[in-house]
Amino acid sequence: MNVRLYAERPLYPLFGLLSSLLIAITGLLAAPHENCILFLGSVWVVFFVFGCRRACLAVIPYAAVLCAVFSGITYAVSRDGISSYAAVNRILAVSIAVIPGLAVSPVQMVRNFSMLKIPRIITLGMMITLNFFPLLGNEIRQVRKAMKTRGADSMASPRIFYRAFFIPLVVRLVNISDTLALSVQTRGFTSGSSAHSVYKPVRVRFTDVAFILLILGLCAGTVFL
Amino acid sequence: MCRYGILMKAVEFINVTFSYEGSGAAVLDTASFCAEYNQLTVLAGFSGAGKSTVLSLIAGIIPNEVSGNMCGEILIAGENVRGKQLRGLCRKVGIVLQNAELQIIHPYVEDEIAFGCENCNFSPALIEECVLYSCSTMKLNPAWETGTLSGGQKQRLITAAVLAMKQKIIVLDEPLANLDRDGTLLLMTELRKLAECGYAVLIVEHRLDMVLPFVDTVWDIRSGKLFRVENKMEYLKSHAGCITDTCVQKTTDDVLFSLEHVGLTAAKRQILKDITFSIRKGERVLLLGENGCGKTTLLRLLARLSMPTKGKIIQYLDTSFGQNRKGSRRWFSEVGVVYQNPANQLFMPTVMQEIAYGAESEQYAREIMHLFRVEHLAERHPQSLSEGQKRRVTIASVAASNPRVFLLDEPTVGQDYSGLQEMISILNRLHEENGNTMITVTHDLRCAEAVCDHAVYIINGFVAEEGGKELVRRYFTKDDIRH
Repeated sequence: MNVRLYAERPLYPLFGLLSSLLIAITGLLAAPHENCILFLGSVWVVFFVFGCRRACLAVIPYAAVLCAVFSGITYAVSRDGISSYAAVNRILAVSIAVIPGLAVSPVQMVRNFSMLKIPRIITLGMMITLNFFPLLGNEIRQVRKAMKTRGADSMASPRIFYRAFFIPLVVRLVNISDTLALSVQTRGFTSGSSAHSVYKPVRVRFTDVAFILLILGLCAGTVFL
Repeated sequence: MCRYGILMKAVEFINVTFSYEGSGAAVLDTASFCAEYNQLTVLAGFSGAGKSTVLSLIAGIIPNEVSGNMCGEILIAGENVRGKQLRGLCRKVGIVLQNAELQIIHPYVEDEIAFGCENCNFSPALIEECVLYSCSTMKLNPAWETGTLSGGQKQRLITAAVLAMKQKIIVLDEPLANLDRDGTLLLMTELRKLAECGYAVLIVEHRLDMVLPFVDTVWDIRSGKLFRVENKMEYLKSHAGCITDTCVQKTTDDVLFSLEHVGLTAAKRQILKDITFSIRKGERVLLLGENGCGKTTLLRLLARLSMPTKGKIIQYLDTSFGQNRKGSRRWFSEVGVVYQNPANQLFMPTVMQEIAYGAESEQYAREIMHLFRVEHLAERHPQSLSEGQKRRVTIASVAASNPRVFLLDEPTVGQDYSGLQEMISILNRLHEENGNTMITVTHDLRCAEAVCDHAVYIINGFVAEEGGKELVRRYFTKDDIRH
């Protein structure tokens, strides 16, 4: 979770997810067409205007590198400018579709889904999963350093390397998931349909409706025109 | 049992016998015990005596999540817990588990605290009230990001998250394990206040020297039975006295490491700012300082697991290692590193193989096993051991490579008093026999002096003061050294 990328005035999470889906599908379908770049640019501006500034800026360097790599590979293989252009649009479509996911905090999403009566085991599982990836990266770094200290980081001894990497990592991850599961249960979480409340209810605002209508309009315009 | 018609006993065990499923040995054997409202109670005892089992029985983790065979009665707020579900019990008993940092799931303090209240179906207005109350009690800011909290703040956050659920019985499993002196005093003061406000607070802890001044009642668990300790001070002396240093000083005049204006910045945060001091061959160096001051980072720089972003560390161990390089395999055979989390360094199928992995011969590995008193665990899988045993096996495994420099990050966490005495005696014996240079980080007052010839006190990334045992004594007993 990168807290710095969250929007100051978050989008309604369900609309954010829906917009991601629409942009990815439209972008992928319209990738070879010349208007696609206009569509993607307009969508990026809409996100920027609707409060996702930091996430919008954060995706630019990644998108630029990926576009350069994939369009380069496509051109080297096909020698076709249109195919390269389509590859760029596909990368941009996926990169822009990621923006709502970066800008909406998981807790907003969980609260939104809780209000929509989606089972809590799914919503909480989603949040823990989002939390898990940075944790996993950190654990891998810790284990790699621990391997060095025991002289077990050489690929010359693959059996030792395998043991020294996977055994502590798996044990640690099992330990983390056990502790986490017990912690949420002892704090009253149940996977069943027991009554629960939402601290800060997430409600649809006028700007959210305007946002989703704009996205729908842009997608429809791109597909039909 | 009742004073002015009010129930005083929050938790009561009546002749409880318990054994884990698949194990014939009884962890509790007709044990009786009680914890009262308005009191801070501590449950002490040796590692493996059954303290955490008692907490799990109180919180309903046993038998709901972990199976076992139980006889006798456990009453929580006057009600028998037999047949009660975890979700019902957690409305009455709040449990703060070990390893606070693994339990945080939200990016902000406010949301983490609100999580339990949402599960209890509190109204948004009540949740807000609970969040503010818990934050003010545990000295937290609701807007803080959880990812930026120190170890002590994370521990207080999980305690606050439990407090917000408004149970009147709070149990805590080793909450002080990684806390510095200030963090410990803050947490214990707040727990004391809670007890005075009518809560029943039960804490399991090894660091009795830090806990006993705050507690009303002490229970000792031995051979499956629980005993109420009548004389707290006597008990403290027998379980938490400072360990005497019997080691002969081996310090020479030769410099081993020279640190010159060392700094380290990571993720835009300056962890170490300007560290300058020298470590001599055969010295036992103790790094002192509060949580987050940069002790572990400094240990990693000395170990060559990270490189400084400013200044330099000159090593005189061996010229062939060069300067400003990452640690090689040969470097780590000379520089032994024991991590805060011991499980990461254990990977062989048996304890015997684990210790023999870095040892010069099998004979020496056996000697080390004998020295660390882990021979009885020789055929066990290292990851199947208790936390205290894992730490001991990790230290034994690193010691088996006979390093000339021994870097120890919190080597005594999870050790009971006898285990602690034994561990310190072994480390000092190895130091005397091999003449190694030992660099230790610890928050444990009981053993700090016994592993120190040269203390280095770090504040906010700077060396504030250097000294000997007198500095350690002042650090743990007085406030004036930090001004």
